[in-house]
Amino acid sequence: MLPKLPREKLLDLYKTMLVMRRFEEALIRVTKSGISVGHFHVYIGQECTGAPALSLLGSRDTVFTTHRNHGHLLARGADPGKLMAEIFGKATGYNKGKGGTLHTTAGELGFLTTSAIVGGVIPLATGAAFAAKERKTRGASMCLFGDGALEEGVVHESFNLAALWSLPVVYLCENNSFGAPGQKAGEYSSSTIAARSLLSLATPYGIPAVSVDGTDAGAVHQAVQKALARARKGQGPVFIEAKTFRWPGSRPVWPELLTGETDLKRAWDLKAIPKQYADWHRKKDGVLRFTRELLKSRRATPEEILEMDREAQARNEQAVRFALDSPEPKPEAALEDVFA
Amino acid sequence: MDEAERKEFLSLLQLMWTIRAFEEKVSELYAKGQVVGLLHLGIGQEGVAVGTCRALRADDYVFGGHRSHAHAIAKGADPARLLAEIAGRAAGYCRGKGGSMHLVAMDVGCVTATGVVGGTIPLALGAALVCRETGKGQIATVFFGDGAGQVGPFHESLNIASLWKLPVIFVCENNGYAEFTPLSAHTLVSRLADHAGTYNMPNVTVDGNDILAVRGAIQEAAERARSGGGPTFVECLTYRLRGHYEGDPGKYRELSEVSEWKDKDPVARFVGVLKEKGVSAGEFAAAEQQARERVDEAVRFALAAPWPSAEEVRQQVFAGD
Amino acid sequence: MAEQTYLEAIRSGLREEMVRDRSIYVLGEDVALGGPFGVTKGLAEEFGASRVLNTPISEGTVVGLAVGASLLGLRPVVEVMFIDFITLAMDQLVNHAAKLHYMSGGQLRVPMTLRVQEGAMGSCGAHHSQSLEAWFLHVPGLKVVVPSNPADAKGLLKSALRDENPVVYVEHRGLYFSRGKVPEGDYVVPIGRAALVRAGKDVTVAAFGKMVGVAEQAARQLEGEGTSVEVLDARTMCPLDLETIVASVRKTRRLVVAHEAVETGGAGAEIAAQVQQEAFHILDSPVGRVGAVFAPVPASPVLEKEFVPSKEQIMKAVRQAVKWVRPAT
Ligand SMILES: Cc1ncc(C[n+]2csc(CCOP(=O)(O)OP(=O)(O)O)c2C)c(N)n1
Ligand SMILES: Cc1ncc(C[n+]2csc(CCOP(=O)(O)OP(=O)(O)O)c2C)c(N)n1
Repeated sequence: MLPKLPREKLLDLYKTMLVMRRFEEALIRVTKSGISVGHFHVYIGQECTGAPALSLLGSRDTVFTTHRNHGHLLARGADPGKLMAEIFGKATGYNKGKGGTLHTTAGELGFLTTSAIVGGVIPLATGAAFAAKERKTRGASMCLFGDGALEEGVVHESFNLAALWSLPVVYLCENNSFGAPGQKAGEYSSSTIAARSLLSLATPYGIPAVSVDGTDAGAVHQAVQKALARARKGQGPVFIEAKTFRWPGSRPVWPELLTGETDLKRAWDLKAIPKQYADWHRKKDGVLRFTRELLKSRRATPEEILEMDREAQARNEQAVRFALDSPEPKPEAALEDVFA
Repeated sequence: MDEAERKEFLSLLQLMWTIRAFEEKVSELYAKGQVVGLLHLGIGQEGVAVGTCRALRADDYVFGGHRSHAHAIAKGADPARLLAEIAGRAAGYCRGKGGSMHLVAMDVGCVTATGVVGGTIPLALGAALVCRETGKGQIATVFFGDGAGQVGPFHESLNIASLWKLPVIFVCENNGYAEFTPLSAHTLVSRLADHAGTYNMPNVTVDGNDILAVRGAIQEAAERARSGGGPTFVECLTYRLRGHYEGDPGKYRELSEVSEWKDKDPVARFVGVLKEKGVSAGEFAAAEQQARERVDEAVRFALAAPWPSAEEVRQQVFAGD
Repeated sequence: MAEQTYLEAIRSGLREEMVRDRSIYVLGEDVALGGPFGVTKGLAEEFGASRVLNTPISEGTVVGLAVGASLLGLRPVVEVMFIDFITLAMDQLVNHAAKLHYMSGGQLRVPMTLRVQEGAMGSCGAHHSQSLEAWFLHVPGLKVVVPSNPADAKGLLKSALRDENPVVYVEHRGLYFSRGKVPEGDYVVPIGRAALVRAGKDVTVAAFGKMVGVAEQAARQLEGEGTSVEVLDARTMCPLDLETIVASVRKTRRLVVAHEAVETGGAGAEIAAQVQQEAFHILDSPVGRVGAVFAPVPASPVLEKEFVPSKEQIMKAVRQAVKWVRPAT
């Protein structure tokens, strides 16, 4: 379902999703052409979670995310050029090339940090919520992480404290393990967590917990909106599980464009769907789903959609050029910023 | 009550008395400066230690924490060598190197204890894995306090134990306090066994001052573990009648609360049970007497035992030296 | 100047800073009750339970939480009861606190203080006795201070609380009840400066924490033997005040470093390395090192005594430095 928003807002959300998708496709393409940026993780397939969730944040809110952060930054309005430059390690990047793909932060967007330590941001986000509460900012702390993070003990320490102290934090777990290798179908919610439902990791602490389809932008929007309202009112933390499928091209280290670059025509033209990975194109790709929903509700025509897509692609091509043309940091910069 | 049961019950009582007498002696020796260290006594919690260990096999493994004198004695450790260890003597189980919080008595399956809250919980999983792999039906048991329920590795351990169906029993001695703070100030979770439920682990909460209730719960858990049914979480509600450590002024608890729990003293309660079952006063007295004599002998042994030689400090840093 | 114990000095430093700066929060196990040693006694009553928070036994998260809160303008002080338990918070300290400023290209700051307490004494055994601060020396982005007396305890704490970086503030349990003069008013000791404790001309002893007092005793006794020892309190381990140490060595031409931490891989090794790089040509003898035995801390009192470095060991190292003659090559 579509988020309950006016057409303009829906189209803005859609444009954001397209920028997210095209950005990473461009990134993969560039890296395949011989430009090395180190290993990275892509957000492809999870856009319908990140875009609506982060569109709800305001200037007082903070965000913490993980190794899979490109989509989150773009969803919050990050500049694709500065993000690409950061991933390429350039001086013009968000962190002057010091963070890279795994640690991009953009303070002006409320991103305090991005940690590549699985579960690492959960205490940090809890701490930011503590500060928000104590400083009465009325902001909330949004914490994004994968289901793997739930295997780390600090998660429980954090849930316990957030509940005990009623901290304004939204724990948004993006469970992209559906269809991941090693998962015992029908047994546990993940191959490495012995809980039948991820929600049961939060409920013993009295934390309200809901599960939504992470490719259903409307459901995500509704759940996050409610959670943020609760947090901002000082009623404590919420846990949301957004279930998404693993994109076939997702590889632990080097993603591959196995499903090709997204062809939005597949949203309305079934003949355009190739046999290989048909299931992905038909059912699992959230961007295609959102496209279909826009068409069905007559909020956009195929032409408008393709036009928005061209814009997104152009923005990302520009971002790639900007990043490639940007200067490398000066070697001395490696020694700067060690201490504040 | 048949003869076998009567004997077993008297032996349970005697073991509880041994622990009680041992801890009282440690307290006394500490007050006199004859033993030093950071000492955490388990007076009031004997029902958990004895109820658990007596439901285990001699070749099962036990892991403890900072309050573990009772666990070692209940598992069969020699009070004399234990006291020698606490007193820092060469005749101690760890040659005086471990002390009160780091008891190891491999001959009776006490693998290790720890000064780090929750520190041995992951270790017990490792032992359980070995038990399962060796296929002799052994199991591992780990004791920890309610304070450990808020430590991350505790949760990681519950998950892995359940996921891999490890033969391990988690015995949580919920004495209501972590140092000077009540459990309610540390977590909103009122029943710690619920954490096990999260991971689909069978769990039960019992009256830890009722030795037979503890024993029953552990027997069931042990059977499950030995037959491949995986871990169990047993939460035992109890109370420590002394301070957190020897020397703790204990101002954080109401005297009325302490005296309420004195009325639920697990040793006295078990005496009451035996009385009802027709065991004579002479028999209880004998059990206590024998326990106290054994402890007195342990004191004589420990205090007369030689100190380790100074060079020992450099020895055993690496195995095989 | 008032006389205070080391413990009181820490408390009054903390108190004064909390009065001055509303963003300072104290977190730790039982801190609202004063903690096991009473360092934070009275703070909860004065500043309220919302600024002096008892935490569950969740070191990893509590340190992480403090880092997160510090990014948003609070200045949390976390007490980890024994430095031995810092292992549980290493991820947050090393991977987040130390690096966020740098990784963010200078955007973020982590102005938090970690108070830890250490020392091998009282037969507490291997989990309540270690001196582990040298670990942090190896992590760019963390500052480490080791006060040896009440005045520094207060002054360095104030600096730590005002610093824009994560500072590990290392207390010694064995010093808590030692007394000393503490200057009145807003007494601040800058981080990064060593202190001259006793002037001398034959050998420099650079010591940390409790070993500073032990080195002083050694120096007094050596005086009687005709050896004049200069004692420096190195006190800020990171950044290290190499300048002061080298200046002293220029005068004495001999150096001994002393700390209670295990000798191998300790801060003394770093000082020795830096001094020989900077001033090899003026050294008349190899840099001597005094530290604990390379072993886990034993519980038995006799073994514990053997473990902890002694005055005699410092004296021996000083004598060796004085006697040393370059072997013929
Ligand atoms: C503490 C830690 N352990 C292991 C890793 C290696 N690692 C990187 S990503 C990853 C899987 C994370 O899974 P999940 O949290 O579900 O996120 P996803 O990648 O599925 O989005 C692992 C194990 C790490 N980065 N940090
Ligand atoms: C990791 C760690 N943090 C803090 C401490 C200090 N400490 C020692 S005992 C204790 C309380 C433990 O409470 P609980 O687990 O309930 O056991 P109890 O003392 O009640 O038997 C604390 C916080 C420690 N030993 N280890």
